[in-house]
Amino acid sequence: MNLLEAFDVSVTFKAFGYEVQAVKNVDFVLPQGKVVGIVGESGSGKSTFARVLSGLQEPTGGYVTYLGAPIQDGKEIYKGELRKAVQMVFQDPYSSLNPRMRIINAVAEAVRVHQNPNKAEAQQIALDLLKRMGISEIDAFKYPSSLSGGQRQRASVARALSVQPKILIADEPTSAIDQSAQSQLLELFSELIKDGLSIVLVSHDLGVIRYLTDNVYVMQNGEFVETGSSSKIFENPSNAYTQKLIASIPSSGKK
Amino acid sequence: MSNPLVQFDSLRIDVKVTRTRRLTIVNSATFDVQPGQLLGLIGESGSGKTMLCRSLVGTLHRRGAYINSGSLTFNGIDLISASAKEWRDIRGKEIGYIPQSALAGPNPVMTIGAQMAEAIQLGEKMDKNVVRKRAIELLEIVQIRRPEIVLKQYPYELSGGMKQRVMIACAIAREPKLIVADEPTTGLDVTVQAEIMQLLKQIRKDLNTAIILVSHDLPLINEVCDDIVIMHAGSTVEKIPSAKIQDTRHPYTEALYRSRIDLVEPRGKLVTINGQPPTVGDWPTGCRFAGRCDYAKPGCSADVEIPSIKIGPNHLTSCIRQAEIWGK
Repeated sequence: MNLLEAFDVSVTFKAFGYEVQAVKNVDFVLPQGKVVGIVGESGSGKSTFARVLSGLQEPTGGYVTYLGAPIQDGKEIYKGELRKAVQMVFQDPYSSLNPRMRIINAVAEAVRVHQNPNKAEAQQIALDLLKRMGISEIDAFKYPSSLSGGQRQRASVARALSVQPKILIADEPTSAIDQSAQSQLLELFSELIKDGLSIVLVSHDLGVIRYLTDNVYVMQNGEFVETGSSSKIFENPSNAYTQKLIASIPSSGKK
Repeated sequence: MSNPLVQFDSLRIDVKVTRTRRLTIVNSATFDVQPGQLLGLIGESGSGKTMLCRSLVGTLHRRGAYINSGSLTFNGIDLISASAKEWRDIRGKEIGYIPQSALAGPNPVMTIGAQMAEAIQLGEKMDKNVVRKRAIELLEIVQIRRPEIVLKQYPYELSGGMKQRVMIACAIAREPKLIVADEPTTGLDVTVQAEIMQLLKQIRKDLNTAIILVSHDLPLINEVCDDIVIMHAGSTVEKIPSAKIQDTRHPYTEALYRSRIDLVEPRGKLVTINGQPPTVGDWPTGCRFAGRCDYAKPGCSADVEIPSIKIGPNHLTSCIRQAEIWGK
């Protein structure tokens, strides 16, 4: 059974009398233990669709299932225990952590809400997690403003993992950080994949997509114009837009 | 070789933190730019790339920064002692600037036409029709369709790529000898990025303008530039021709080159650079990369000034152990 599936999902935004259809009748499958990438240019609807998958955005049409059951039950999305199953890492590590909270407390808060241990235990769990993500004990007690972008992004991943999710939805996790920090984060992701985590990776960086994903969905104007295994899409793209995307990757050293 | 257009020599930039406290943000920048050259400047966040750009357009003081020592000349003019009046003749006319943020670059409450008129006139009186004709001509150079309509539009009506094209049009309005492009494609899509790069290359060919292209994307810089200058923690660590990037003589460049993900197999072992870049104000003595370097020995951190060593034409490194590591 597929872990996460979307059927005929649409999202329409209304603004100033206009209607904008950001996502148009798309189907999507995330198999157990796989990494699925969504690529496309700005404004193509990638982030909106990722928000639908994570339950942050209610689709205006279609539905999403988790292990075969719809994630939406009446007004509630991801009810009860299900809420822990899917976690999200946001694009911008500079705005997704509370600037008034020490890193360790930001992570411990998520642990306390979902696992209900006492304060000391929650802090210990948070500290272990942060250490696993490569953040030292000294740095864990700092505020987000004193950490680098790469460290903050790893702290966000630690916070997402604190509830032991089955699925991680990462929306452009590497676009705001430097190259050396990016390789550290990707290394971390590969380890998590080995441990059995399923990931939906949204990005416009095709290098990152090629490196991590098993399957790729190419999005343009709210629709998936091409889908397939990662190797097929990169070696033999059939859609004109996909070909243009791949031709635009700078490829030094291979001139 | 002709006279260099821009010459940085051990330039040091300090910033005022409080009334008495000073922080060095660029410690030692040494390299030159030839006329008509496309030079890439690369480094991690906080390595001082943007501050070097600001020193070229004379806007350091707006961030409370100033040049402490070293020299910086442009076309034979000493930029450090240049007066405000001299700057007016250089900024925009001789040196064009494309700012970092394409999305926030243009003034949101002015039409594109009004902003371009400012860039074209630079305070001088000109005939309205001449200015308008020139603006349309410039928009055609940067390949904007229907320029007459765009002139009447506001920035919010344009896409990110179009805004960046407008900023480029403003920068080339007076056909400067040098364009400083500070991360012109950050935040834009790869397809748009490829188009902007093509455009910059075309401009350089047509106007014979030198371009300093700042980025933290090594594959990009490597593909489009002639020479690459690599910065780490406020110092230029290497200047190397793009074609010779694989013959680097600095461990930081080597690590950056090897950490590129397009070289490895999917999920293969990635090369990562150890640790974090040292932060401003907390720089170690000697070589600042020593703490993250695989080749480092205790001597690397000795409290001495690291010299720039000439390897060949257009190739400078500041690794004191380069001969030991890579041989003669």
